[in-house]
Amino acid sequence: MSTVLVVDDEFGIVDVLETILTDEGYRVLTACNGKQGLVRLSAEKPDVILLDFMMPILGGGEMLLAMAAEPAYQRIPVIMMSSLREDVIAERCKGYAAFLHKPFRVSAVLSAVARVLDRMANDAA
Amino acid sequence: MSTDPIDADGQTPLERVPTGIPGLDIVLRGGFLKAGIYIVRGEPGTGKTILGNQFCFNHAAAGHRAIYVTLLAETHDRMMQHMQTMSFFEPARIPDGLYYVNGFRVLEEDGMKGFIDLLRHEIRAHNATLLILDGLIAIAESSESDGDFKKFIHELQAQIAIQGCTALLLTNGRNTYHPEHTMVDGLIELHDVLFGTQAEREVEVRKLRGTDALRGRHSFRITDGGIVVYPRIEALLARPSADDQWPAERCATGVNQLDAMLGGGIPRGTTTLVLGASGAGKTSLGLHFLSRSSAEESGLFFGFYEMPLRLRVKAAHIGIKLDGLIEQGHLEFLWHPPTEDILDALGNRLLEAVRRRRVKRLVIDGLLGFQEIAADRPHRIGRFLTALANELRVLNVTTFYTTETRNLIGALIEGPTIGLSTVAENLILLRYVEIRSQLRRLISVVKMRDSDFDSSLREFRITSNGIELAHTFESAEAILSGFPQLKTEELPADKAARRPRGK
Repeated sequence: MSTVLVVDDEFGIVDVLETILTDEGYRVLTACNGKQGLVRLSAEKPDVILLDFMMPILGGGEMLLAMAAEPAYQRIPVIMMSSLREDVIAERCKGYAAFLHKPFRVSAVLSAVARVLDRMANDAA
Repeated sequence: MSTDPIDADGQTPLERVPTGIPGLDIVLRGGFLKAGIYIVRGEPGTGKTILGNQFCFNHAAAGHRAIYVTLLAETHDRMMQHMQTMSFFEPARIPDGLYYVNGFRVLEEDGMKGFIDLLRHEIRAHNATLLILDGLIAIAESSESDGDFKKFIHELQAQIAIQGCTALLLTNGRNTYHPEHTMVDGLIELHDVLFGTQAEREVEVRKLRGTDALRGRHSFRITDGGIVVYPRIEALLARPSADDQWPAERCATGVNQLDAMLGGGIPRGTTTLVLGASGAGKTSLGLHFLSRSSAEESGLFFGFYEMPLRLRVKAAHIGIKLDGLIEQGHLEFLWHPPTEDILDALGNRLLEAVRRRRVKRLVIDGLLGFQEIAADRPHRIGRFLTALANELRVLNVTTFYTTETRNLIGALIEGPTIGLSTVAENLILLRYVEIRSQLRRLISVVKMRDSDFDSSLREFRITSNGIELAHTFESAEAILSGFPQLKTEELPADKAARRPRGK
């Protein structure tokens, strides 16, 4: 069973993602900002991270930077999520594996997670 | 951000944070005070979230930074979808100029202390000078007591004061007492009010510490450009913007014979009521007046009933040439149907048009239009027209107001019941009279401000050369008695018609 870490400050989105990913057979961890996300990472190693860009305390961009500085986290794929356009995010964040534009459909989330996990599996093979 | 000259103590200048929301900064006398904390309260759907977002985007557009913290179930992307239809929404401002965060989980997990820490952190991290907190009610509900909630407000006040950040706390709630209202620097209420079947939004500044505001309720609309507030005219112009000049000059009406009756024209900068039955010639007289518009004396026709094209055609039919004046920018027609409109929106639009083109000749065609729009609040119309007339006077605008008498014909003259005296420094009466089974028109000057005038009744006609008056007062007699008799004096048109052919 693959583990997904969902990091988002909007409880409504976290709740929805947790439900649909759990239903799909994933194990789901949650955090409400980047700082909490890093705390989760120090205790568990998810297979993929769904990471919101705008959050309090520590935003998605900053969490991504912190992960890049830590070799243990560098291979964990990150799917950035935002209501901003992808080019705005791309200007400010480097090294993410995929982008989900909010509001998103359930099918888009599931296919993005599956695609990223497949790619990781292929790379490992 | 702008600065007031001096604060109430005569010591420290008070820095303002303009909202950039049209009309609201006029109501707030320049904006909120920097580092102040304000509550914006209103029922769901009254426009709080739009107001908060519009303020943020305007703040960011001015080169400052804002953070928008929500405690709501509505997600940011959903909120942005609603906002992006409005012209103030500029995605490029996000995230550097405007940053959205949701603090609900922090509040839920770490309580008010954690939430205060979050706000402090976000204000510093983003160097924000504006904080919008949307959903204050969630904090009130998570408080164990009034004391806890007051403590939260107190701590937030301390934080924003230290960081020089202005805060707006948006909340639902009815018109009841809340302890936090005594602590904050201001309380703004948004209302959605039904007048008959017509809904109108209103904003009211209930409290504003350390500065003046336009008191009472002011109408506002949510437009494609966001919120537009229309300050209540009588509050806005409680004192006219300048002293009355009273230049003691005359302004030609465009009808030479009438000018002669008036001793050279209408006193400049005064208000004239043109009163008459439907079709008596009020609008035609107004068009004559505007035909004398020029680069030095810009003209404006502000009407409610006849559309500009019809008026131009009408003017052309009676020999009044307006097209050139319009093309040269000396004359403008503004038409407003008296249907779903806001009285103060009209008043502000009129004043804006007058100021924009430095109008000196103004015709407001159909005073009844204002009265119809204010039908649900008739008590306002007198004060509204007084404030408007006073301002037009100090702007040295010579204004003609036209209005209908109720009766078409007869000795009894019934004009509008309210607001008459304020707009009738001068009064010109147009009447029908039946003579030898024919309806004829009569004109008379009933009143003129501080001036002598010819008070005789004159017959007049509207011909292809415009309004023509008979030469002497003897053309009509005994009109007010109800038994008019035609005397020997005739109009030039009559004489021409009866002149033997070939001579």
